[in-house]
Order: sequence, then structure tokens, then C-alpha cells
Amino acid sequence: MSDGTDDGAADDPTAADRTTERTPLRRSETARWDGVAGVALALVGVGVVARQPGLVLVGAVGVGYAVYARIGEAPEATVELSRTVSGDAPDPGDEVVVTVRARNVGDAPLPDLRLVDGVPPGLEVIDGPARTATALSPSATAAFEYAVRASRGEHEWEPARAITRNAAGSRERTTELATPTRIVCTPELAAGGDLPLRGLTTVYHGRVPTDVGGAGVEFHATREYHRGDPIKRIDWNRRARTGELATLELREERAATVVLLIDAREAAYAAPEPDADTAVEASVEAAGQAFTALLDGGDRVGIAALSPRDCWLPPGAGTAHAARGREALATDPALAPTPSEGRFYRSLWLRRFRRRLPADAQVLFFTPLLDDSAASLARRIDAHGHLVTVLSPDVTAGDTPGTGLVAFERRERLRALRGAGIRAVEWGDRSFPVAVAGAAARWSR
Amino acid sequence: MVAVSRRGAAAGEGGAGDGERDAPERDKRERDDRPPTSAVVAGLVAGAVAALSAFLAAPTGGALVGLAAVGFLAGSLRRSHRVLSWAAAVGVVGIAAAGYLGGAVEPLLAAGVALAIAWDTADHGISLGEQVGREARTRRNVAVHVGANLLAGGISVAVVYGAYLAAAGNQPVAALALLLFGAVALASAVR
Repeated sequence: MSDGTDDGAADDPTAADRTTERTPLRRSETARWDGVAGVALALVGVGVVARQPGLVLVGAVGVGYAVYARIGEAPEATVELSRTVSGDAPDPGDEVVVTVRARNVGDAPLPDLRLVDGVPPGLEVIDGPARTATALSPSATAAFEYAVRASRGEHEWEPARAITRNAAGSRERTTELATPTRIVCTPELAAGGDLPLRGLTTVYHGRVPTDVGGAGVEFHATREYHRGDPIKRIDWNRRARTGELATLELREERAATVVLLIDAREAAYAAPEPDADTAVEASVEAAGQAFTALLDGGDRVGIAALSPRDCWLPPGAGTAHAARGREALATDPALAPTPSEGRFYRSLWLRRFRRRLPADAQVLFFTPLLDDSAASLARRIDAHGHLVTVLSPDVTAGDTPGTGLVAFERRERLRALRGAGIRAVEWGDRSFPVAVAGAAARWSR
Repeated sequence: MVAVSRRGAAAGEGGAGDGERDAPERDKRERDDRPPTSAVVAGLVAGAVAALSAFLAAPTGGALVGLAAVGFLAGSLRRSHRVLSWAAAVGVVGIAAAGYLGGAVEPLLAAGVALAIAWDTADHGISLGEQVGREARTRRNVAVHVGANLLAGGISVAVVYGAYLAAAGNQPVAALALLLFGAVALASAVR
């Protein structure tokens, strides 16, 4: 009787202004007591034949149970549900304690009430089940709590499901109790290492070395002296050696426009283990690091998702843009921790993406490369003149023949992409900056 | 059989406590849908009472009802409604046997109510396990359910036994049965 239940109204101020919307779902017979009347009458019959009053009496009690099973409808779940979370803006990985209080606001007692809370699909319950079974007399309150681990994104609680039964348990009724609750979990973007970009740049000064000669720091070529060239750039060694005037050309460093494209199709929601982070999660984290690093380097960065839902942050720069990007990466529904609903139409998506993409933009494509269409998409975007770098989190496990085959196919795709002249980096175990640094050493411009 | 039940309970407790650190993640997330311990224990106690009462009425019947109690435990642990139904059938046969062998009225009535409670609690426990799981708080729910059943059984026994003492006395059994059919007809009419 003492398990978290206190009689009398709980004066929770948050409970008063939140109202619970009740949607009746279905009513059914549980058929638990079916046949009890037959058994009872059989006992009575045996008792009559054997002339044993005891059996007749037991049979009569059985009839009493048959009546018990027939009386009473399953009561309506007249429950006011309030949900309090320990923090509505947690950091990823934080434990959020959710307290659910259910108050019987009806006039009838609820002898058998089972509550299943609608935990958002992107959150994992780490302590205590989000369920309870109790009995509530009018205006009594029952409370239960559980803890979830916060993950990136915006999480809205689904309606809780209440199942009520009559005292005998012969009839039940299912009701949905909707009480809006949400938490928003926005990770800090960690700055990643220097991300090498490909040589497709804007006309603005930045940090990507180009093949254009001009002002810069790195030697590019020498050319004939033209009148008006700065004295500092004259190759005095050559002048001393041969007496000719020549001018040093340096590589011009320019800024790039980069669009971070994140594969968030259903196929990309793959993880090596059932509870491990998905490839989308790894991609978004890496994209966050790239986003910060590129913005700090003076490049213009945009964000797009390969997803049935539309997600497009046009390339930009500045503090406001950084904040917008952080929010898009954290809470955009297209990048949610669980797959978006709806079908993904590749050619429609590609047409729209190309229309939006600035002509001088290059693409950093974050994809686990688990199917051919990601690889072919990378090649198509690259062929349209937007240089593509594929950054692929490795989520293949390889411990069974099936997963081993997937890992092999993925390696073949990477090899094919590299063969087609597309840069590709893969990383596993959350060491994106290390993988990029290692790859950068291999790459020539 | 108690040892089996304790082992089951210990495993359940371990899954909630120690398992959080060393068990793989997926084991933790998978809900434990065995019936709650309170329901299993209450069903076991009621089954024991039923067996004891039936044994007092007639040892053969008592043995069968004891078998039924074991069946309830097995049904609870295996989460099988069908095993429970079969066990209940065995229990009813046991009570019929005890009554046929001339068991006294009072222990037979007690055995009948206890058997009904044992089956009801075990079955309720399985549905609780399916819907909310073993680790959820269910004690109040189980207590109210058992209490309601006990109340229904108690009222039935009071009415039936009172009528038996007052009206029947040395009346033939057929008169009792007729009285009963009258009651059934009345109950159906009310419904």
C-alpha cells in the first residue's frame, strides 16, 4: 500500500495548468473468467449425484465468482497525468530523471490501472521501467520515476498508455493520455582539427591554397618580371646569378564554400551493436567538428541532409550563422536520432540540392557508405563540378559472415570512390580528427 | 519449488541492480516481462492454503490441489496462461475428488476460494508482467486485486454457507441445488 502512493490531492503547481488529453482507444473482454460458470455448475452436478452438500456449496461459490466476473465495466481512465523532468535542456549523455504523477480525477475508483509512459524513441531508459501498475481511489495520486539518457535532438514525449480493468479483470479499456513534455539537448560543437579542403574556392581570401599565382606564403612558380611588380617578390638570387629580373609567384590562399552533407536516410541509421550510436550520430558529431573548424578558418559553411525531410542551411559565416548551424545539427528533425518517416526520392532530392548549391561550393559528404546509392550520389555530385570529399564513419562490425560481407562491400565502395578521384576518409571509434590528420598527410592538392 | 522461485527472484533482482554495470547494454534494455514477485508469492501462498484445506477435507483431493499449486507456479514462471488453465482444471478435479470422498463442508469451501485466488493471482501476475514488467512497482495493484477477489469469495461463501446453515440443515442436497439455480436465475436477471 505504500509504494509511492499518497492519498489526497497533490498540489503540484505544474500539474494544475497542464491538462491531459484523453483518447479512448479500445475496450475488450479479457476472457479470463470464461468457463467458471460451467465448472461451478459441473461441481454442483457432481455434488447432487454424489449427494455431497460440500460440493454443491463449492459450486455455489463458483457461481458467485461467475457473477463477480460479470459485474462492473472497466472504468474510464479518468487520470490526470503530469510529467516533470529534472532538466529540459540537458547535455548529451546526461541522466534525466522523469517523474510521472497520475491523479485520479474521476469519481470512481480505479482498481487496476497500468500506465506505460510514452518515452520518446530517441531516448534510452537507463533506470527503472517507465511503467507502473497501481490502484487509485478518487483523487489519489500515484507517482513513479525513471531515468533516461539524454541524446542529441529535440525529444517530445508520446502519449502515455493507460490500461484499466475492472476488479475481476474481466474487461479492460485502453486509453491514451497525452501530456506534452519535451526536452531539447544541444551538444557543444567541439572544434576538430584542420580539415583539408579541395581546390574549389571562392574569390575571397582564406586559407585554402590554390593553383593561382599571386600573393601568399608558399612558392608556386617564377615568371618574367613585369613592370610594377612589388620589389619584395623579385627573385634576387636569380638576378645575382644571371642578371635577369624575375618575379616569384606564390600560391594564393582563398576561402572556400563548403556544404556539409549528412546521410540521414534510413539505411544510414546503422550501428555495430543494437545500443551503440548510429552512423548518423557519428556523422553529426564529425560534421559539428568540421563546421566549427571551417568557420574558424574563414570558410563559408552550410549544412544539408540526405533525408526524406528537408534540411538546408545555406552557406554563411559569422557568429549568428555558427549558432544557427549548431542548432540545426542538434535539433533538425531530418537529423533526429531515429529515422525520419517518409520515402526518400533520390533524383528529386538531387535536383533540389543542385539548385540550392552555390556554383563554387564543395561538398563534405558524411555517409557510412552502406549502400551503392550513397557512393553513386557522391560521384554524381562530384561530376557536376562540386568537388566531393567523402567522410565515412565505420559502423560495420564484421563478427558474423553477414556483417563481414557488409564491411567488405563498404571497403570496395571506398576503393571505387578513391579510384574515381574522390577523396575519402574513414574513421571508427570516434577519432575523426585523427583520421583526418592521417588522411591529410597522404593527400596532395 | 520455493527454491526455484527464490532463484527466479534473485535473478530478477540481479538484473535490476548488478546487471547495470556488467551486463551488456541490450540485456538491460530488454524488459523483464516475468510476473512480479509479489504476484508469484501471493499465488503460491494461496495455492498452499488451498492444498492444505483440501488435504484436511480428503488427502487425495489435497494432493491434486497441491499439484495444481505447483502448476500455478510453473505457469507463472513460464508465462503461460494455458499451463495455468490446466493447473486450475487439476485443482477443480482435486476439490471434486475431496468432496466426492465425503470431505467436510468448511475446508472444501476454503479450498475452493483459495484455489480461485491462486489461479486469479497467477493469471493477473502474467498479464502484469506482459504489460508493465517485473521491475515496475506493482505491489499495490496486486494487493488490491487479491483483496477484491478475497472479498468476492468471502461474500459468496458467507451467502452460500449462511443459506446452507439456515435453510438446508438436513434438507436433501437436491433442495440446495434448486436453491442455487434460483440464485443463478436471479443473478442473470439482474445482469
